[in-house]
Amino acid sequence: MAYTFQFRDVFAQKEAIADGIGVTLQLSAVTICLGFLLGIAVAVSLVYGRSWMRGMARVYVEVIRNTPLIVQLFLIFFGLPGVGIKLDVLPASMLALTINLGAYTAEIVRAGIESVPKSQIEAGVSLGMTKPQIFRHVVLMPALKNVYPSLSSQFVLMMLATSVVSQISAADLFHAGSIIQSRTFRDFEVYTVISLLYLCLTLLMRGGFGLCYHLIFRRR
Amino acid sequence: MPFVELKSVVKRYGDNTVLQDVNLSIEKGEIIAVIGRSGSGKSTMLRCINGLEPVQAGEVWVDGVAVHDANANLRELRARVGIVFQSFNLFPHLTVERNITLGPMIVKGVPAAEAAALARAALRKVGLEEKIGAYADELSGGQQQRVAIARSLAMAPSLMLFDEITSALDPELVGEVLLVLEEMAREGMTMLLVTHEMNFARRVAHRVVFMHQGKVWEQATAKEFFADPKTPELRSFLSAVLH
Amino acid sequence: MIRELALVDVYYLVLAIRWTIGLTVLALLGGGTIGLLIAALGASRFRALRGLAFGYVGTVQGIPLLGWLFIFYFGLSIVGYNLPPLAAATIGFSIYAGAFLGEIWRGALVAIPKTQWEAGVAIGLTYLEQLRHVIIPQAVRIAIPPTVGFMVQLIKNTSLGAVIGFVELTREGQLTTASTFQPFSVYLLVALMYFSLCYPLTRYSRILERKRRALR
Repeated sequence: MAYTFQFRDVFAQKEAIADGIGVTLQLSAVTICLGFLLGIAVAVSLVYGRSWMRGMARVYVEVIRNTPLIVQLFLIFFGLPGVGIKLDVLPASMLALTINLGAYTAEIVRAGIESVPKSQIEAGVSLGMTKPQIFRHVVLMPALKNVYPSLSSQFVLMMLATSVVSQISAADLFHAGSIIQSRTFRDFEVYTVISLLYLCLTLLMRGGFGLCYHLIFRRR
Repeated sequence: MPFVELKSVVKRYGDNTVLQDVNLSIEKGEIIAVIGRSGSGKSTMLRCINGLEPVQAGEVWVDGVAVHDANANLRELRARVGIVFQSFNLFPHLTVERNITLGPMIVKGVPAAEAAALARAALRKVGLEEKIGAYADELSGGQQQRVAIARSLAMAPSLMLFDEITSALDPELVGEVLLVLEEMAREGMTMLLVTHEMNFARRVAHRVVFMHQGKVWEQATAKEFFADPKTPELRSFLSAVLH
Repeated sequence: MIRELALVDVYYLVLAIRWTIGLTVLALLGGGTIGLLIAALGASRFRALRGLAFGYVGTVQGIPLLGWLFIFYFGLSIVGYNLPPLAAATIGFSIYAGAFLGEIWRGALVAIPKTQWEAGVAIGLTYLEQLRHVIIPQAVRIAIPPTVGFMVQLIKNTSLGAVIGFVELTREGQLTTASTFQPFSVYLLVALMYFSLCYPLTRYSRILERKRRALR
């Protein structure tokens, strides 16, 4: 059976692709910012919180990390309307992705906090600093520096995972695939191109995070 | 009234009783050297004084504050009691200046400009003013320890605790740190030093304390302590370390 | 015709777990094979071979799993194979798992200090004998906790098989929702089932990790 690959048709759909990339990037940016903050808050609960706070945080982290993202997404988008909470596609996506990233970030940041030597904390205590002051000035930055590779890897993984929102018809890059597919009938070429575009995004993000490391943690 | 007073202090780690029945009092302006074998409890006793270690029984009084009280708020006291650790414990992600200004600015609310001046003055005292913008890993051990001392000094303490501060240093770097301590002693600071530096203790301390098996085993003026040890344990310890 | 969510639906959901586990096992076998190869290449002395492994891992990890699934799903039909979604899923997951497992196992191999290799040479072992008796046993011990951790990832990832029509637990959930219109209850049940598969493994991997650290 002869088959000629026709990539040109796919490239002709530049607009759909560009729009898709835009949505993917926006979703990723929002998710990473909010998920990161949520993760830090949960990590603080896990390390410093009272037992009920630690318990709740632990339940959150374990539930999210032991269930698939797509099921969490379906639960929020399809399931919540059943109990009265009806969300649009993009808000539901952001909510699901943020909640998901928050749990993974919390574990990573928790490990970072625990990697700060006790002697550092003793120095802070001995100067008369309060626990929140010690966290902010002595623990936080060294903790984040220690886990930066894990953290940035997790963020890149999340950007790739945003492709799952295509399944609730959010107009992201992966969803652009089904649009182009219905116009050109070039299934294989479409998804090959889209996958390569994700690869480019990955490389750009990795480079970006590498740059950030030097900007934030390298000596001035 | 003594500035620091320990009465019948008992400290346990699980089944291990590190401090059996410690009694010690320190007057303002006194310089006390504490010596003893490893495991005799000297570092633990020091750490009980600023509340880093809680005590199981007995009383610890520092400048009128009941440190042994589990409900005591020690923050205010700790701002007045400086401690320097064997492993310096400088904050690696901050410059020397920031290491020193952090305490005054966020614990005592000192404004930035004044804190910077305090930092410079403290660094001048320890002879490291030119390193004000450096990071800890750019400094030698002796320099890091002097910065650690400056960090405590910037809080204007009434009492300084030193926990074997030269034990982790290469021998040639010990001298520069001891010089700083001698200067502080000359200026009348109340100091408690856990140390192995016998010559320094003999020269600079007013009183020397020998700790053994979790108790204050013997104490005397510096001169008497080394010239005329009374207990056999101290005599054997001194003959082992002074050779 | 909408019907009530009944016990029989729960029964079918539970049955679908077989396919989730089945796909996970297939992915482990396929991915494990690829992973061994990648780990061996990645730990080799020759930069070209290491580059190959690096390239494979970087490319696979830089593309979403959904992308790989669709590429093989549509790609296979082009080449003339009309295989069930299971085939595309197995190949896609194997490629994906191979990259991650390869990285984990490469990490375990390079974690063995050079002195262990030298000790092997000192008692006269050949390269293969060194691998077999000295290096691999130690590498396996290091690799087990993260590998178990990755198995949890795999189980969760099989949920994407639903997107290409493979009927595992998530797809069964979609089908059940379509006929009962109870998405909240259905997906909650589905989540619970995944949790009961993943959480014990997660706990186990943590115990393994703690045991390994204690041995140091």
